[in-house]
Amino acid sequence: MTAPAAPANPGMVTLTIEGREVIVPPGTNLIEAAKTAGVLIPHYCYHPSLPVAGVCRMCLVEVEKFPKLTPACATTVGEGQIVHVHSAKAREARKGVLEFLLINHPLDCPICDQAGECELQDYTFAEGRKDSRYMEPKRFNPMEDFGGDVLYVPNRCILCTRCVRFMDVVAKESVLNVSERGDRAYIGKFEGADLTHAWASNVVDLCPVGALLSKDFLNKARAWELDRAASICPSCSQGCNVMLETRDNVVVRIRPRPNASVNQHFACDVGRLNYRWINRRDRLEYPQVRSSQGLVTTSWSEAVKAAASAITAAARVTVLVSPALSNEALYLLGRIASHVSATAVMTIARGPEAPLPGVKDLSLRAERAPNHTGAELFGFTDVISPTAGLGSNDLLIVADAAASVSAVPDGVRVIVIGTVLDDMLKGATIVALPVCNFAEEDGTFMNLRGRVQRFQQSKAPPAQVRPTYRVFGEVAAAIGAGSYPALASDVFATIVATVPAFAGMTYRTLGLQGAPATLPAGAAV
Amino acid sequence: MAINVKVMDRPVEQVSYVRATLSGLAHTFKHLVDPHKVTTQYPEETEALSKRWRGTHRMLTTEDGKAKCVACGLCPTVCPANCIKLVPGEDEHGNRFPLVFEIDEFRCIFCGYCQEVCPEEAIHVGRHYENAEYSRDGFVYDLERLTAQTHPVCEMWDPADPAGE
Repeated sequence: MTAPAAPANPGMVTLTIEGREVIVPPGTNLIEAAKTAGVLIPHYCYHPSLPVAGVCRMCLVEVEKFPKLTPACATTVGEGQIVHVHSAKAREARKGVLEFLLINHPLDCPICDQAGECELQDYTFAEGRKDSRYMEPKRFNPMEDFGGDVLYVPNRCILCTRCVRFMDVVAKESVLNVSERGDRAYIGKFEGADLTHAWASNVVDLCPVGALLSKDFLNKARAWELDRAASICPSCSQGCNVMLETRDNVVVRIRPRPNASVNQHFACDVGRLNYRWINRRDRLEYPQVRSSQGLVTTSWSEAVKAAASAITAAARVTVLVSPALSNEALYLLGRIASHVSATAVMTIARGPEAPLPGVKDLSLRAERAPNHTGAELFGFTDVISPTAGLGSNDLLIVADAAASVSAVPDGVRVIVIGTVLDDMLKGATIVALPVCNFAEEDGTFMNLRGRVQRFQQSKAPPAQVRPTYRVFGEVAAAIGAGSYPALASDVFATIVATVPAFAGMTYRTLGLQGAPATLPAGAAV
Repeated sequence: MAINVKVMDRPVEQVSYVRATLSGLAHTFKHLVDPHKVTTQYPEETEALSKRWRGTHRMLTTEDGKAKCVACGLCPTVCPANCIKLVPGEDEHGNRFPLVFEIDEFRCIFCGYCQEVCPEEAIHVGRHYENAEYSRDGFVYDLERLTAQTHPVCEMWDPADPAGE
């Protein structure tokens, strides 16, 4: 045997997978190496965010000069390896593995929530046997409530132990284990423990089959009926990347979207279950202006005109914003506020912090608002009582922040620009402009580390509701604070041109993973 | 200029239509005395439908009278006419169950895919064609109506048994 030639790429390993040459750093496993060549090696127990276990035997591949088949998840790349994923020998082995996995599987796909996004379904369809040779009665274990939002169906479980490893290694709260042995094995809970960890629902996503289910999503929709849009979780300032999944224009589920710089593959329970407000039916749907008959529906141009004249006529203006508005909206509100020398304030809702110990700098943050960093950057200060000090004939602009106002002082007139018209604000409101919520428009949030991340529209807005950046742009133009484009990407370009922290960014370069902004200390526009 | 028309001189037995008329009348009178049946006296009489006839739907039920449907969502997915409305939910025992199951028979093209795709053998196209209603709304069959119908159901073509025996 001749000595191997000097590697062309120093510090990298070159190997061949399915006839394709792959160059990867040493220490990469075969599954990840194959991904770079566009080859999917079937696997169940392997997950990029979890330690390797090698228990499912589904990723068996043939490597030339190896005496027998090897699990791709637990085999690191070697110089000059030749890997066959779909050779007859490897396929035959995986067919056998699948047959064994299906022995006690109930095949109840019609009533299983995972159907359509189930890896057992996919790989059985791709590589499995057409029929079963198993004639004996199947093992049966009853469904079990694991606490939190998680339901366990042991019959469907293939014992990949992803959930066990997540709780042990990532959540660092050992709740789950593999109980019993052999064919009686199932996922059990330790005595007295429950899946009440703030990040426990991730086991539902990690489960490759329908064994761990979300109680919230149970029997609600089929995977293939859902429309998905890339978004950012609005529940805290961490800015986890998520998918908003909608069915018939109704958000039914929020699932994490991988982003190695922010949340890896995870999302917390609070973020997952906080979606019902997006589907509110009691929305403010038409622009309204106060006349002698009370608040009456009017045209957009009339309403914007009325808002502008109220703003310019007022002696003292306070702009109260929600820290859940996009950078685009907050920038324009900042321009309105500085044009009329208004007090620019917000209130940040707070809750207990809940870190995920296994991932660096990932936590359900105490600040339960997705964009308070952006709001601070655009000049809004966090106050406890935004209406304090307001008196007669003062004007209060409430930008989707009705929750921050407990009571309107006498004589204060209010312009509501928001998704709902709160009863408490209604009496003092002179103009109400309906705007989209974050799921109905494009935009960007800046998380607490200054990372600017895009979210995309996932559902259609109701009635005459318009995007926030467009409404604020029109109001700003009407009071003479400059003219602004009507598209989110163009408004963002305006921000980039004027705010140094955003220098060099465009929607295209941000992509769906975002980019860090250059935050100057204590900067304000 | 006159047109030259060639006049054929044929024998009278060839050009006479008396013979053809008599032959036709003979056929008519033969049918009067020996009428073999061609008209079905509908609605007093009906003809047997093919075993593979695909007509208005029927939802089969379990022994306790509940629809067999588990709301898996395959029939609305496969339906090319998009005529099935399904809202899944849970029944009192926590089983998956259709809260709403409606078929718009006006929109249906009676392809039978819903029956073919159903993993529970619940929804069937029926051997039935008498569907008249007094209003258009009557053609949206809900779950109650689908389970209440009693007409025979279609026997789908089985590739393993092409002759259908």
